[in-house]
Amino acid sequence: MNFRKTMAASAITLATTLLSANVAYAACATDGLPSSMAKPDGYPARALTMVVPYGPAGGSGQVAQAMAQAVSDLTGVSINRDHKPGGSGTVGMTAYMASPADGYAVMEHIDDASSAHALDSGRPNPATDLIPLVTSQITFSQIYIRTDEDRFTDWESFVKWVTAQNGRATIANVSKEGSMERVNMKFITDATGMQIQQISFDKGAPRYGALAGGQVDALFEQPGDVRKFMDAGKFKPILTLLKERPAAFADVPSLTDVALDFDPLYRFRGFYVHKDAPADRVKWLQWAFQKAYCQPSYQKYNESKYMTLIESFRDTQGSRDLINQTVAQYREVYKSMGLEVK
Amino acid sequence: MDVFNNFLTGTITLFSDPLGILIFFGGVIGGMLFGAIPGVSMLTLAAILLPFTAHLSAEHGIMLFSVIYCTGVYGGAITAILFNIPGAPENAPTAFDGYPMTQKGQAGKAVGAAVMCSAIGGTVSCIIMMIATAPIADWAISAFGPPEIFALVFFGLAVASSVGAKTFWKGWLSILIGLMVAVVGLDPVGGIERYDFEMPYLLAGIHFIPTILGFFAVSEIFVQAEKKVTGSYVAPKIGVEFPTLKELLAHKFAVIRSIIIGFFCGVLPGIGATLAAFMGYNEAVRWSKKPETFGKGNIEGVISSETANNAATGAAMIPLLALGLPGGALTAMMVGVFQMHDMEPGPLVFINSADLVWVVFAAMFFANISIIFVGYLETKTIINLLRIPFQFLAPMILLLATVGAYAVRGLTIDIVVMFLAGVIGFFLRRSGYSVAGIVLGLILGKIGEQTFAQAMQMLHFEWSGFFDRPIALGLILAGFVTLAGSIYGAFFKTNKPTATDPAV
Repeated sequence: MNFRKTMAASAITLATTLLSANVAYAACATDGLPSSMAKPDGYPARALTMVVPYGPAGGSGQVAQAMAQAVSDLTGVSINRDHKPGGSGTVGMTAYMASPADGYAVMEHIDDASSAHALDSGRPNPATDLIPLVTSQITFSQIYIRTDEDRFTDWESFVKWVTAQNGRATIANVSKEGSMERVNMKFITDATGMQIQQISFDKGAPRYGALAGGQVDALFEQPGDVRKFMDAGKFKPILTLLKERPAAFADVPSLTDVALDFDPLYRFRGFYVHKDAPADRVKWLQWAFQKAYCQPSYQKYNESKYMTLIESFRDTQGSRDLINQTVAQYREVYKSMGLEVK
Repeated sequence: MDVFNNFLTGTITLFSDPLGILIFFGGVIGGMLFGAIPGVSMLTLAAILLPFTAHLSAEHGIMLFSVIYCTGVYGGAITAILFNIPGAPENAPTAFDGYPMTQKGQAGKAVGAAVMCSAIGGTVSCIIMMIATAPIADWAISAFGPPEIFALVFFGLAVASSVGAKTFWKGWLSILIGLMVAVVGLDPVGGIERYDFEMPYLLAGIHFIPTILGFFAVSEIFVQAEKKVTGSYVAPKIGVEFPTLKELLAHKFAVIRSIIIGFFCGVLPGIGATLAAFMGYNEAVRWSKKPETFGKGNIEGVISSETANNAATGAAMIPLLALGLPGGALTAMMVGVFQMHDMEPGPLVFINSADLVWVVFAAMFFANISIIFVGYLETKTIINLLRIPFQFLAPMILLLATVGAYAVRGLTIDIVVMFLAGVIGFFLRRSGYSVAGIVLGLILGKIGEQTFAQAMQMLHFEWSGFFDRPIALGLILAGFVTLAGSIYGAFFKTNKPTATDPAV
């Protein structure tokens, strides 16, 4: 019971923040920041390096490119992206932590950094071992089926069908132990009592191909990543993992609609700098990255990825709050899953 | 007729636009050059160019990437043949026979075969792509799930045991070493950390590009250096003559077979040209009446590998354009180009942007054709690099290989891995093991482990599930038959080497 209470408390805070931000979304979050800022002692005198712990083609690679472009457009400072994929972001994080804290190196990372720290406190805590410059994408997940599927057509019939399969139904996922996807799926299966086999695909294309080709029965994904399949009429969402229906998915049931009483975990992506970087440089970077969030090119990119359905922006303190809440939420879940939390 | 008319319209649009022509030829030459430099591959060029495509029109941006893809896959064959340095993993099997041909003074023939067969493989797959993109894409993703891809990998490994080792047993031991190396890092399903020795960089696994550079380029430098020291070094003869049409026609079945294999591998999302090249080469060995000549400079090895890897290029565009599913890293970057122009590859592209699609198809077709002409000129000039004395050439190769190893992920450990592989490869080659087998085990092992785990999850951990899927069953049976044949050969035809190759 304590677990549920803790989860509910942290999730209420997170959901309230998300929804209140949604209401205030009409103007862009950092419109109030000054349009320019003097470079402290001539910094940056050369191009910045952005360590990206994932490949260039995935969600992280794309957001890194969009943000780097927006910052460059705003400040005239070039940003070289240095992709260091591998180990679910561990390699990039390790490489970044070993780089000089002079403000010339920044890093993109996702909620995996928070979940990794939640599982093993020896791993860097993005909220305290780094300074979050901005969180620029926060998104929710959905369950998708093929549009031409005739065995089930909506969430209710899907749950009924899956239950009847007695564990033989399948869903494509990134079901790495302790991942956001697996934890959310645990919430769903615990709440519905259905058994479903999660098939782990670490790359998007084979994962989406598995649903399109009928290799699996359903797909767990974020809407921005499968937008083209929805627009093409190939996939349709049957459940939104939010408490309330976002306007863009007004006809898709939310968790509340289907009486699922759990607090979903979100995918978020942001940008960081060393905690020991010179304070004046950090201040300049905070301004540049937060202001760049509202650059038209970046906003257009976020819109194309359904990243404006709930407020994606967090400043430094907002990012820390988000990370801290997320870490606490993951820790509770991991303990309940019987995972060893170090 | 629709296809022809659309192709004609695409061609006219492409060549009536001066900027389009400039971008086309820039892509052709850039792809070949970056493809030819080890490690600094066509992906490097694509990553550099990606932000700039925002300033181009959607047609120009996507066309540029398509052209780089076609010529980049070919470009890596040149250094594979001349210096035993595959420009990219998909050119590794080209080196198996290409480099021994260079040592025999047949560099021109090997490069010529690579030029012609890359062009043929790419062009034919391009034509199939134009005719039947949508139905092929739908068929591929419905017919080939993780169980089928695992079965394909199993079949590939069974065939690979006869590549490059002195005996069947050494061939299998080589592959098993590759498979062992492939499991270093996070496991692809549960994310469990394996063999990392608490070194975070090892969590990313051993990348096959530094391994290839070490086993092929660095160990070759050591081998040649040893010969230089012992006085047995013989400089490679320079041969610039192209293979004759008759010589190429003699291998027409190998070309056709490799086109089918290459196309087939290319059309599967996430598989791509590397597996295509290895499978094309393996099948050439399996079907040959003289398998023992492979690895010693058999031109059919070059033909099969280069036909298959270029045949995969057109095929990889099929799932990308028809379904929005990129088959590899470069096609994934193409998704980025589409998105920069407010477009998404997928079924709607054919409806909303048919003009663009046909310009891209035309550009890929002509890029493959242009490989012949640019490749011919390239051959006549680049082969002369072999005239550089070994003591000057070796440091250049080591430098290029080092840059190439580091460029993959920007990790110093990859340079260490490359030199370790070089030293290990040097000794393994002396003892009759196959470094090609190790590389193959490493590449196929990563794909195989992941698809096996996925298959077992899909089949609810019941082995018999494989037998309910006809394609998977067929491939597994073919693998076992191949394996049984090899074991029979090992026991009853003792002392008959499979494909001995001191150079590979």
